[in-house]
Amino acid sequence: MSAYPYEVIFCIVNAGYSEAAMDAAKKCGAKGGTVIHARGTANAEAEKVFGITVEPDKEIVMILVPDGLTDQILHGLYREVGLETAGQGIAFALPVDKIVGLQIDQAK
Amino acid sequence: MNLRKEKKQAEARVGRRGGQNRPLTPPKLKLLVTVVNRQKVELYLGLLQGFDVNMQLSMAAQGTANTEMMEMLGLTDRDKAVIFSIIREDRADEALRYLDEKFHTIKNGKGLAFTVPMTGVIGVAIYQFLSNYEG
Repeated sequence: MSAYPYEVIFCIVNAGYSEAAMDAAKKCGAKGGTVIHARGTANAEAEKVFGITVEPDKEIVMILVPDGLTDQILHGLYREVGLETAGQGIAFALPVDKIVGLQIDQAK
Repeated sequence: MNLRKEKKQAEARVGRRGGQNRPLTPPKLKLLVTVVNRQKVELYLGLLQGFDVNMQLSMAAQGTANTEMMEMLGLTDRDKAVIFSIIREDRADEALRYLDEKFHTIKNGKGLAFTVPMTGVIGVAIYQFLSNYEG
């Protein structure tokens, strides 16, 4: 448990996998999120050395969740769209200290 | 003796820079994230500038809440915009209260806003620019 009642999860996935990410998060208790289109960059030499390719088209899924749900949602995202899947997703959570505009009972 | 002199000089400096009520440390920064309907993004960018916000980043986004939930919350449009604003800690509460009021009063202006505390920033000029604080 963190000191903050809510956290925001950012999950960066390959383009086309935001729905899969959102489904995984919803299965773990999330109610909704926002998808932002983005472009990924990587060091071309490092890509060669490590034998991986970074798909430049990305989607960022931003999900606001009560603190107690963060761990299970992160695990769900890792399972369904993590780095070892085609979604090649990474996810992290940041603390949120104040919120307006969210109906709190709806978020839970 | 020397130490006492330095202390006196330091106290004088603090006094010159703002007196008793002024905090000795500059205020911290927060990341204010606002999600609104895409047609309203310019309006909210303008409103936020009034809270000592000098840098904002807005991007097109899509909402993902299911239709049932959207109807329940009175939302109709899936096309959203996300605004990232860097705001001073001492202005953040006021900005959130103001946004909350606008979410309820502006037609089609419903939205969501939250703040994320920032733990570090490098560069005095950058800090002064981001915080609109010259102290």
